[in-house]
Amino acid sequence: MRACPPAEGSLKGDAVTLAAMPQPAETIDTSGRLCPFPIVETAKAVRRLADGAVLLVIATDPGIAIDMPMWCKATRNEHLGTYQDGAAWKSFVRKGRR
Amino acid sequence: MERPTKAIAMISGGLDSTLALALVKAQGIEVKAINFYTGFCITETQRRKGGRPDGTIPQNEALRAAADLEVDIEYVDLSESGYLDMLVHPKYGYGANANPCVDCRIFMMRRAREIMEAEGAAFVFTGEVLGQRPKSQRRDTLRIIERDSGLDGRLLRPLSAKLLPPTIPEREGIVDRERLLDISGRSRQRQMELARALGVTDWPQPAGGCCYLTDESFSKKFFDVLDAREAAGEERRIVRDDVVLLSTGRHFRLSPRAKLVVGRTEVENALLEHHVVGRARLEARDVLGPVALVDGVPTWEERVLAARIVARYGKGKDLPRVVVEWREGDLVESYEVEPERDEARIERMRVG
Repeated sequence: MRACPPAEGSLKGDAVTLAAMPQPAETIDTSGRLCPFPIVETAKAVRRLADGAVLLVIATDPGIAIDMPMWCKATRNEHLGTYQDGAAWKSFVRKGRR
Repeated sequence: MERPTKAIAMISGGLDSTLALALVKAQGIEVKAINFYTGFCITETQRRKGGRPDGTIPQNEALRAAADLEVDIEYVDLSESGYLDMLVHPKYGYGANANPCVDCRIFMMRRAREIMEAEGAAFVFTGEVLGQRPKSQRRDTLRIIERDSGLDGRLLRPLSAKLLPPTIPEREGIVDRERLLDISGRSRQRQMELARALGVTDWPQPAGGCCYLTDESFSKKFFDVLDAREAAGEERRIVRDDVVLLSTGRHFRLSPRAKLVVGRTEVENALLEHHVVGRARLEARDVLGPVALVDGVPTWEERVLAARIVARYGKGKDLPRVVVEWREGDLVESYEVEPERDEARIERMRVG
């Protein structure tokens, strides 16, 4: 398992592991879809969530490791971490409080 | 009622759209950025193929610009049939290659107008610069784009605004025209100075040109598909599945009714595997070689020719005979062929 650098202002360093991530309120699986669709699906899913709830995004597009922190910063959501887990990437996002 | 102070930014993430975003945001206007997915972006395709030759993955520049300026961003998928139909029948014609830039901009701005209305925004803005591009950024075509998109008076080009008639948001005082610019032409000097002044430090180099439709080789493949369909008595059209194949592999026109696409790398071979439905899949049986697809209805001779070309691009190219497997659904046939050695013949069939 490999952690991608977390977004500025979120969890620091590689010490935080996948197992330490909070229980997601919702999980979406974007496996097989490529840029920019994992982010498109993330945006739709986050809209459905309550403020502060966590979304887990599963993806096979490695681009998610660079896209997700940037998308979270642009949209004022919190990027908790993105981890490579076998062939898939798991990205955790906490919906920002509006 | 309070006047709306929201605007929709069409951004690519290039220097010009990033600066336009920064200029409008600096006026205290709430901005929502949109980025259009057409399926023809070279950077996106590069990412799909595993990144650059040095192993790095190019970042999504629109997302990067929105993140740097902390502006909400939404992707808008245009890659459906309406957009593809426009590419085949552009009202204002093509540029040097398969790029109908004026029609494409109109198509995008119509969607931007819909989003503007849905969001209750006052106007749409872009990073367009008067005179920067030969077809879509001339004074007359900028006006045509504004008119035909239905954004009359509500399409702001902050970098060239002082050279263009005032828009409604400028006349209404929502936007301060004095704080907009009068940049024109192809030089990027003033944009770079502005970037330094605004603290914009990150933009893609070289500027512009992320569209396959402006690429000469891609363009030949694009028109080859249209011409071949027409020659085969079909409608001139392009479908979503074609778009991925056009940017993947070596293409050989066997006849108007049959085309061969040969993977160049492992990643391209894997991409081709996702497009086998409705096509024949070819691969050398006993030696390493590329995955290839045949699209259309080849004759017997064209099947053999396709197998010979596939054998030519594999490790068995110097062997006297190579067995190539031909799969169509559950049907598997084997062709034992001599690898094609007539390079001139291969070149005559090559598209792009």
